[in-house]
Amino acid sequence: MESTSLQTEWKRGSAELLILSLVEARPRHGYEISKLIEQRSGGAVRFHVASLYPMLYRLERRGWLCGRWVEKSGQRRRRYYRLTHQGRRVLASHLRGWHEFVVGINRITEAENA
Amino acid sequence: MPEWNPEILRRLAPLKLSPAREGEIAEEIAQHLEDRYHELLVTGQSEDAAFRTAIDELKGEDLLARSLRSIESDLYREPVALGKGGSNLFAGILQDVHYAFRMMRKSPGFTAVAVLTLALGIGANTAIFTIVDAVLLRPLPFKDPSTLVMLNESLKSLGYPEVPASPPDIAVIERTQRSFTSLGAFQNKDFDFSGSGEPERVTAASVSASIFPMLGVQPLLGRTYTEQEDKPGTRVAVLSYGLWQHRYAGRANIVGQIIDLDRIPYTVIGVMPKNFQFPLPGPKHNNEPAELWVPRAFTPVELQGWGDGYNDGVLARLKPGVTFNQAQADAALVTAEIKRVYPPAMVKIFNGATPAIGLAPLHQAVAGPVEALLLVLMAAVGLVLLIACANVATLLLSRAASRSKEIAIRTALGASRMVLIRQMLTESFVLALAGGALGILIAFWGTSGLLSLVPSSLALPHSASLGGWVLAFVATVSCLTAVVFGIAPAFQVSSVHLQGSLQESGRSGTPSRARHRLQGIFVAAEFALAMILLIGAGLLIRSFSKLLETNPGFRPDHVLTMSVALPFDAYTKAPEVRQFYEQAIERIASLPGVKSVAASNDLPLDSADNEVLQVEGRPDSAPIMTVTWALGDYFSTMGIPLIKGRFFTPEDRIGSQPVAVINEETAKLLWPGENALGKRLGHPFPNMMRTIVGIVGDVNDGPLGSKPGPHFYLPYLQLPDDYIEYGNLIIPLNLALRTSTDPGSLTSAVVAQIHSLDPQLAVAKIRTMEQGMASSIAAPKFNTFVLGLFAFLALFLATIGIYGVLAYGVAQQTHEIGIRMALGAQRRDVMQLILVQGARLALVGVAIGLLAAFGLTRLMSSLLYGISASDPLTFAAVAIVLVAVALLACYIPAHRAMRVDPMVALRYE
Repeated sequence: MESTSLQTEWKRGSAELLILSLVEARPRHGYEISKLIEQRSGGAVRFHVASLYPMLYRLERRGWLCGRWVEKSGQRRRRYYRLTHQGRRVLASHLRGWHEFVVGINRITEAENA
Repeated sequence: MPEWNPEILRRLAPLKLSPAREGEIAEEIAQHLEDRYHELLVTGQSEDAAFRTAIDELKGEDLLARSLRSIESDLYREPVALGKGGSNLFAGILQDVHYAFRMMRKSPGFTAVAVLTLALGIGANTAIFTIVDAVLLRPLPFKDPSTLVMLNESLKSLGYPEVPASPPDIAVIERTQRSFTSLGAFQNKDFDFSGSGEPERVTAASVSASIFPMLGVQPLLGRTYTEQEDKPGTRVAVLSYGLWQHRYAGRANIVGQIIDLDRIPYTVIGVMPKNFQFPLPGPKHNNEPAELWVPRAFTPVELQGWGDGYNDGVLARLKPGVTFNQAQADAALVTAEIKRVYPPAMVKIFNGATPAIGLAPLHQAVAGPVEALLLVLMAAVGLVLLIACANVATLLLSRAASRSKEIAIRTALGASRMVLIRQMLTESFVLALAGGALGILIAFWGTSGLLSLVPSSLALPHSASLGGWVLAFVATVSCLTAVVFGIAPAFQVSSVHLQGSLQESGRSGTPSRARHRLQGIFVAAEFALAMILLIGAGLLIRSFSKLLETNPGFRPDHVLTMSVALPFDAYTKAPEVRQFYEQAIERIASLPGVKSVAASNDLPLDSADNEVLQVEGRPDSAPIMTVTWALGDYFSTMGIPLIKGRFFTPEDRIGSQPVAVINEETAKLLWPGENALGKRLGHPFPNMMRTIVGIVGDVNDGPLGSKPGPHFYLPYLQLPDDYIEYGNLIIPLNLALRTSTDPGSLTSAVVAQIHSLDPQLAVAKIRTMEQGMASSIAAPKFNTFVLGLFAFLALFLATIGIYGVLAYGVAQQTHEIGIRMALGAQRRDVMQLILVQGARLALVGVAIGLLAAFGLTRLMSSLLYGISASDPLTFAAVAIVLVAVALLACYIPAHRAMRVDPMVALRYE
């Protein structure tokens, strides 16, 4: 029970960071984003449809992401999300905060275990 | 392949998204589920299991909607195209309005100019409509006013298309008519009102007892009089609220008090409520709201005075079910009856004619005289509003250039043309409503300002309230305005070519040719409209100056006039009356600064005493002439020139040879090519022929500008006693004096001289003849001022319009101008290029305006004097002025274009 609730908290806090960092290099569509999160976390973190897309729309609304329909020949069109200029700045500041947090946690846990 | 959409749409349904947004989300999620499904199939799952696992991603029935609700609530509700239907139409419009406000805030300069322009247009319309509403649209403040009619008489063959009624004829009408439930006569008259405080002349009305119940207005205090009291000798009076307040400070015990009218005691029996007004202003005669009312009480002498006393207004109420046309047919029967009973002697004097009865709805009789003026003003402000619309439309088009990229992006993002047009029109509506709101304020001040200038000779109210109708009018006009100025830009803007606009990079490209063309059309239209208005105002100004140039036939400078009425009960015999006036003249003449003094029944510009006369030796001829009884140095006091013969002398009195003086017009009319001196002319009753001893110049009997008619002057001292005492009424005389100093400064000295003869006399209507002249032309002056004001507004707006378009054009063409200059164009050429652009627009507008004005100005011919409605001088002058103003407005942008530095202009690129 405890681990599950911790996982939920983690997901909530980090979900935005994860999505923003995944589209930093290049625009990706929703399914691709969800697959990448699943793969890179070794299956530990998974976003289902009912929470992924609302999240994307929220980030888009804040102006951090920009979605655009792209058609490729022989395929149905997909919506690709790219990081906006503002989103890039937000991501940078989130990452900085995250690093400080992790460093802080590590210091505490290492001191206890030493 | 599984169907994902039904599953997704069912879950999105509670959000009530716009169809477009809903489809977009469903498409994206369906794609996701599809990808997941294929992936699961690859891992070896059965189709069934893969489908269920994929659907499981949606996590139950309501999670998706719950997560989306806060995000989608107000963002992507795309406006629904009009006519397409949809649950969120209202939300769409709200969003449009929201957007419109944002756009307005973004360009405050544009917003201010557009809103102000519209406010001026709408405000002017509202102000005039408020007056139209009060005068033409609002029912009169009486019971069932639509069934009230006014009766009049006419003697068309004698040149009287409409006169008030005569008592014997009124008796015939009462006896014969079958169309009216009740009928009553009324007549304005003045009384010397005394008893408490200074003697004062009050405007009163003698009114039949039937009139009060007919109007259906109850007295505030006491009662009105009965039919039994409406008899000669009954001395009762009903006061107006104003007189009650002003003379008695609203004392409650006024009913039963005795007041003195012309030194005869009357009992006050009632007070009418505050807003009661009767007679109403507007009709030609008996049009002064009374301060008190007394019974009309026809005397036996009056009722036998056939062919005389055409002085009574007649008000009647139609029987229920009787139409106006039926009453008119009935009036023809009454006319026939009058013809039957008319005394043959009178018929003979009238050249075989008898009076005919005519009728008009009361409302028409009251509002008719100002209808033409109000319609012309309404048309004028309508044109001003159209010009304002054209102005705002050109502004919108100019702004459209800077918005084309925005429009292109929205189009690229899927906004349909319909959606864009609706968005543009919403912006127009918001602008128009803002203009309307400000316009109400302008109208509020404008109306009271305008009405405070209304001269008393014009039957317009002195105040008018902004009623419900007016607000409805503003709302309607604002909405119509929005459509008029918004529709063309909306269609033009929404037809933006995607690629072109997106390719136009940051720098300003060449403006769309179509847009510029449309702006040109609007500016030309503005000039055409302004042209019409300016010609209208120009015609009024020209006609007004003609009016000022007219020779009134007398010298109005240095003349003071006043009216003195001798009450019959104090001056019962003619010799007393004569003595009073002779002594008054003598005493006033002794004052320093007085050159000459006279007394007369009528004064120039205000002569209303028309009488039927007879020419000796011509029994068939009965000229109707203005008659003036003169006492003292009348002609030299008035400055009326002698053409032939002599003026009256003090020796022209009872006992000497009866003499008369006529004007040139009479001489021409009655004795063309002959010497009129020595000819004889006079009243048929009593039969007294007078020898003409002098011919004087023609004088304006009516208001300035009216054509002088035949005029008959006779010495007051030769009037027989019974004429002076006739009908127990002494005709009030006007005293007039010519001074060597400022005539106004002598007022108190003159009044003191009159009071030295009779301290109880009221001296009324004290004014200089120049003031009389001014009030005589007050109505045309007001017309000219108001139309001139609107024409100026039109010119102002049109000038701003042409300036704006050219200035914008120059700004847009800086690059082009730079290239031209780099290629060797002279500065003069550039200036000429711009000026020609502007002049072309103005000339097209002026040409169209000339044609339209030619057709429209004849509507105002009734307001003109001395010039035709197509006066070529006015047309030409206005055209020149308008083109000159246009060139001036173009000069500034042209000058700016001339100063374009080719290096700078090209570097901008």
